[in-house]
Amino acid sequence: MELMTPEGGTLFWTALTFLALLVILRKVAWHPILHMLEERENRIKESLDKAEKARIEAEKTLAEQAQIIKAAQKTAQEIIVKSQKSAESVKEDIVKQAHFEAEKMIQKAKRDIELSRDKAMEDIQELAVNLSMTATEKLIGRSLEEKDHKKIISESLSKLEDMN
Amino acid sequence: MLPEVAAKAVEQTAAQAGAEPGGGSEFIMHHILAQPVIKLPTIWGIDLTITNHIIMMWIASALLIFVFTLAFRKKNKVPHGWGNMLESIVVFLRDDILIPNLGDEGWKYAPYLFTAFFFILVCNLLGLVPGATAATGDIGVTTTLALMTFFIGQYAGIAKHGLFGYFKHFIPPGLPAFIIPIMVPVEVMSLLSRHIALAIRLFANMMGGHISILAIMSFIFIFKSWIVAPFPFLLVLFSALLEVLISLIQAYVFTILSAVFIGLAIEEEQ
Repeated sequence: MELMTPEGGTLFWTALTFLALLVILRKVAWHPILHMLEERENRIKESLDKAEKARIEAEKTLAEQAQIIKAAQKTAQEIIVKSQKSAESVKEDIVKQAHFEAEKMIQKAKRDIELSRDKAMEDIQELAVNLSMTATEKLIGRSLEEKDHKKIISESLSKLEDMN
Repeated sequence: MLPEVAAKAVEQTAAQAGAEPGGGSEFIMHHILAQPVIKLPTIWGIDLTITNHIIMMWIASALLIFVFTLAFRKKNKVPHGWGNMLESIVVFLRDDILIPNLGDEGWKYAPYLFTAFFFILVCNLLGLVPGATAATGDIGVTTTLALMTFFIGQYAGIAKHGLFGYFKHFIPPGLPAFIIPIMVPVEVMSLLSRHIALAIRLFANMMGGHISILAIMSFIFIFKSWIVAPFPFLLVLFSALLEVLISLIQAYVFTILSAVFIGLAIEEEQ
């Protein structure tokens, strides 16, 4: 056994051992490991891609939502302004109506008052006539013809009125 | 006190060396050279005797098969323990040796390179076990491995470029015609010598480490003194730790050079 001379037997056995080891490890180790690594790397890459996609999607959705919110705010603002306007006009209408109604009521009341006053005046006139008739009767001691009497008093009253 | 003892020891050693020349080196050679374990007949001029180096190779192979089978037994998506460590080494081999040197075609050569790396590594490391020897410290073993790299490289080159296309590799482009007869032998020599160097590098590194450890260790027996013993001991400890490093480096170097040589054979003409 020389130090620097490769022995034929050693070459043979090494080749045999190594090739057997190669075949076995290829089946037991290298193929499963490389396959597993590749699979895992692909999965990680896929996951990252998916995450990136999801992020972009989320950003898009967020932007969309912001836009929607903006639009909604604008619409709400418009609605508020519009309703304020319409409320204003409604208010004006109501006030107008109320004024009108009030005016009407006032007019009616005035008329009523006038009517009542006229009626009261008439009543007073009648009462005055009656009173004066009664008083005259008592003073004269005899009864005048009621008809005549009334006529006289009415005439005198209208004269009074004319004087007024 | 120490110098006196040392001087005395050297005197004794000199006397011993005179008495039995080559005693130390014979002891070392006995440990370095392959020792027959099972005598087998010689067939077609090949002595099939099983040596201790071949036994060590078998132990290394069995260990590798056992460990890898155990680690990747289950179809786990996530490896555990040993599997993790082995996988990280495989990833390193793939990303730092296979792909940079062989590119996308490298997958075909992955089983060879990976097996070579782990086989050499385990053989190297087993050589550090007391009583065991490193199979990679045998020139026959490293020659076989280098021959495999050589043949795989030649096969890959011829398979890729065709026989004629591959031999064009030996003619560097852009040379005047009269230099070609000189350059072709130079290129062929370079091809052969780098594979021979591949075998000798691994063999010499492993054998050298063992010789140094044994030589330092034999000081204890040469000096036959308890006082001297701690120094060789510390030196051997240091050398053994260095050997661990060298075991890793040589496995790596052999693998990356194999990848480079195969890469050279399959590379496109510039």
